[in-house]
Amino acid sequence: MRAYFKMEFFQFMSNKKNIAIYVILLFLSCYYALKIAPEYDPIEKVDVLEIEARYLTREEFLDNVVIREGMHYLTAFAVSIFPEWNEYDKARLDAIEKNNLEEYAEATSKWYTYSDKFTFESEVLYYNPGYYTYGNSYAVMDGHYAYLSSASRYEDYTEGKSDLSVNVFEERTALQTLQRLLHSYLPLILLVSCILFTVDIVLKDRQNPTLLQGLPLSDWRKLIVKGGVSLLGSILAIIPLLVGLLIIGSQYGFGHFNLPVPNYSFSEDLFSTITMGEYLIQNLLFIVVWFFFIISLLLLVSVMLKNEFANLLVGCVFLFAEFIYFSRGIGIEWNAQWYPTSYVQVGQIISGYRNYLYVSDALSLRSGLVVMGLCTCVFLFLIFLMSNHRKFKLL
Amino acid sequence: MWNILKTFFILEKSNKKNIFACIIVAVFVFGLALFVKTEDFGNEVKEKSGEYQSLASALGRFQNVDATENGNGSDLYKNLALQHQLVVRQRMAVKMNLPDLYLDTAIEVTTLRANSFDMEGFDMVANYLPSKRENQLDRMFYQYMKETGLSLESDPLSFFPFLIYLFGMLGSVWFIFMSVYSCGIMTEEFQHTSIIKGYPITFDKYVIAKCMSSMLLVSVFILELFVCSLPLIYLYGLGDSSYPIAVFNGDFAIYPIYKYLGISILYMVFISIFTILLSVILNVLLKNMYLTLFTQLFLYVLPLLFPSMMNVIPFNPFNYLNFASILNGQTLDLANPVVLNGTYGLISIGVSITLMIVAVKLFLTTGKLKKV
Repeated sequence: MRAYFKMEFFQFMSNKKNIAIYVILLFLSCYYALKIAPEYDPIEKVDVLEIEARYLTREEFLDNVVIREGMHYLTAFAVSIFPEWNEYDKARLDAIEKNNLEEYAEATSKWYTYSDKFTFESEVLYYNPGYYTYGNSYAVMDGHYAYLSSASRYEDYTEGKSDLSVNVFEERTALQTLQRLLHSYLPLILLVSCILFTVDIVLKDRQNPTLLQGLPLSDWRKLIVKGGVSLLGSILAIIPLLVGLLIIGSQYGFGHFNLPVPNYSFSEDLFSTITMGEYLIQNLLFIVVWFFFIISLLLLVSVMLKNEFANLLVGCVFLFAEFIYFSRGIGIEWNAQWYPTSYVQVGQIISGYRNYLYVSDALSLRSGLVVMGLCTCVFLFLIFLMSNHRKFKLL
Repeated sequence: MWNILKTFFILEKSNKKNIFACIIVAVFVFGLALFVKTEDFGNEVKEKSGEYQSLASALGRFQNVDATENGNGSDLYKNLALQHQLVVRQRMAVKMNLPDLYLDTAIEVTTLRANSFDMEGFDMVANYLPSKRENQLDRMFYQYMKETGLSLESDPLSFFPFLIYLFGMLGSVWFIFMSVYSCGIMTEEFQHTSIIKGYPITFDKYVIAKCMSSMLLVSVFILELFVCSLPLIYLYGLGDSSYPIAVFNGDFAIYPIYKYLGISILYMVFISIFTILLSVILNVLLKNMYLTLFTQLFLYVLPLLFPSMMNVIPFNPFNYLNFASILNGQTLDLANPVVLNGTYGLISIGVSITLMIVAVKLFLTTGKLKKV
């Protein structure tokens, strides 16, 4: 079995298609690091001018306002909330001037909490204008999430677990970039590469079936070895992506494994933080479980349909099915958590953002592992049954 | 020639790949219909509310001042404040079901917007407003509706409007689908070179026949798109086949739905032939179906990754493969705007097809086929 594994692995690595995938991943990660990452323009950035403009306008208002009977209720409202708000803005400005990042983080955290308290469900106050882009009907929800998650993030910075810098605040360091990518399309890229790696692993033997007939291995074991090889190959796909990480790290710093990652819990509408290290390990675990899922699925399709094109299609349908049924708030109406396809956005599941979008509290790492694990077991069991059937032919 | 075509048909009939391709086309159509339903497209109240909020935050970038005609606000500020007002009126018109008022207000808003683009400080609020191109398309559309007196009706799920949406989506994926479908077109032959050497026919004729049989299947796929959308007639009605759509063809213009569909199908046929021939050539050169696929996708993505390339090589056929974005004039929104004309696109793809046929005829012979 070991020798067979070696042989399969050697074939896998010398397969032109697989080499091409690694090269493409390398190209993409370099392109990202050199072209897209420097253009990253976060909405919640450290912007002295913006704070100053807001602070000065409000301060002027507070200095000039005359408090008297019968004034407009909005004026009264402003008079009641602006002093504390301005206190935080002042603290932020002072901290930046003194270059005291910890104080800045503390004031900023309070500022976000305080702002959100009055802005959410308010008719007159707005979140950062960056959220209200043309065509975004959920700007308030986006702003609410971003403000609260920033508040919890900044609160954690004050605890002094890691070095602070403006790059850390704006999430530009290598590890934070990785975290942002896991939150968007990196899981899809990894899973698509996994599909492409696995798509021909069984069917490539069809060209020379006689060569393998003499092997003293049952079909089931052969399939397991093939699955193992493509799992290893898929995990190795991380290496070319690390190159991009190194490039970003050399430009903006690498960040630290103790940096906080906000974690949303739906039932309490509250944020807590986990460390970057935990977040990355959970992601890695979940992605590997996804690899297991996809590989077992494609092995099953390979032995059932015996067609590479079908493998590709079935794999892609599972990856992209969520787009068809997903819309915000749909978690209220039906149980998306029972579908493995709801867990494609690995990073968003772990940080709880997916729950926020679905308006549900059922999509979690644990339920994901259970659903994906069960599906994988079912697939493997089916393969086992089929391959032990008397009339079964692998190729 | 006829005999070889007949042979191919028999071969294709037993090819599982075609069945799966048919299934995926059907899944795509049904999935898209579901998607349109869940996303609630065409809900004007929701759209106008979003627009209202965007304008409110655009106004939030200014100090609150007098926005009346003689007030001391800047021109842009007054313009935005007026737009804000009009959008509220539009929303009201939708709720109260007053199509004429809606149309008049829509024309006013788009005209106001058209003026705002050149005003001082527009860059500051550009994010909250549609781009110049989008606004121009809207404006054309509303003005046309006003002139012809057609009634605004848009159930995005009735047959014809849905087809527009479907073909709009197909624009970006058709080439990808075709390259996945055709990337292995000649690899079977490489595995058993003796088969093709035994045919009493020259290699170029063989290739042409193969392309023709694939094209027949492509026409089946295109037909399937329509067939799968047919249930919508029963569920949501037929819609109007001459309902106008604003497009960009070097200039902003109005096409009826059937013309838009016709051009899209023409593009799809051209792109299919283009992709199949490209697959043949790349198959012969690279001798591997996945490398063929990756090369094709790379060539497709390249102009998107480096948009400035489009200015340098305007006749690159790969610029024109996303026909929906060409008809939308999307390249006008880029940092360096490029005018890509739909007709030139067809010519460019057509010329490339001819070149590739010539290349197949001149350079590819059975001698090239060696076992991989």
